[in-house]
Amino acid sequence: MIGDTSVLFQIAGIGIIVAMIHTILKQMGKEEYAQFVSLVGFIIVLLFVLNSISDLFQQIRAVFFLKG
Amino acid sequence: MEIFEVISVGIIASVLFLLLKDKQPSIAFLIIVLTVLYFFVFVIQYVQEILHLITYLGEEANINEIYIKTILQIIGISYITEIGANIVKDAGLESVAVKIEMIGKVFILILAIPIFKSLIETIINIFPIT
Amino acid sequence: MIKFLACVFIIGSLTWIGHEYAKNLANRPRFIRLFKNALQILEAEIVYSQATIKESLTSVSEQIPNPISTLFKNIAGDIQQDKEQLYPIWEKHVDKFYNKHPLQLEDKEILQQFGRTLGQHDIIQQQKYIRLTINHLERKLTEAEERNHRYGKMSRSVGFLVGTFIVLLLL
Repeated sequence: MIGDTSVLFQIAGIGIIVAMIHTILKQMGKEEYAQFVSLVGFIIVLLFVLNSISDLFQQIRAVFFLKG
Repeated sequence: MEIFEVISVGIIASVLFLLLKDKQPSIAFLIIVLTVLYFFVFVIQYVQEILHLITYLGEEANINEIYIKTILQIIGISYITEIGANIVKDAGLESVAVKIEMIGKVFILILAIPIFKSLIETIINIFPIT
Repeated sequence: MIKFLACVFIIGSLTWIGHEYAKNLANRPRFIRLFKNALQILEAEIVYSQATIKESLTSVSEQIPNPISTLFKNIAGDIQQDKEQLYPIWEKHVDKFYNKHPLQLEDKEILQQFGRTLGQHDIIQQQKYIRLTINHLERKLTEAEERNHRYGKMSRSVGFLVGTFIVLLLL
């Protein structure tokens, strides 16, 4: 009843892969690309979390009559 | 029993957090935030049932609807303040969490003003100052 | 089921792209090395057996493995047909070769420059030019080898990882 937890695994997978790409690029001396990849991964995950936050806030507003 | 689900999701989230902590601390933190949000979204359904009970009791007791609504809003504000403060505290920013809680208290006070006012008025009506 | 197939397809194609890139990187030093060998043979033919350019090109093409062998054979064949200048023929064939194989622009430039000097000078001068070109190619060879060593493995794994990343995003 807790919704789908697969998003958690998805985000963990994204994190692991971003970390691997980061490590490889760093080893090859492409420091700036490595930073960029980290940033992109972070932003994508942040989008997921933002979705979830707005969900929660909508629900709280509906439950507690906090509209307006 | 839903509590088992909550516990297992918490354990899974902490394992994933440990996995990512060294390499990508920011993404690991976002995992924790997401788990916390899941928990709160999960528990809000049960809170809703309790609130229904409260409104029902209020209607039965013929209490003015505005009072019930104000109390519910106060509970809502404290709830959401708790969430925000917890998430910020997880990120290690204790001071910001304290400020969020303080502002939440201020808003609760503002919401409580009409009830307080009516309480004062009732007291004055009972013991009129002549 | 279709989802699973699509995932496999995406991962597979991106891994393939990475492999292709790595193959190109690995092929460039091989080709440069072959060109170096070819020029050494050409030098021997011109300086010691004093053959004509057509004969020496033909004998080079007999001693070198395939993609470059056909290049030299084609050039030699074109010389046979008419008596125009050597350089346009050389340029045309090197251009064609460059379009088909993973050489860089600089490598092509070196070869073109060499073609401009071929057959214009006496033997001593010609030998000097060949030596110069071999030197240039040597420099490019070390550079290409370093690049291959550096990025060869990386492009393979990055291709696979990017594929997995996209699949995870679309899941």
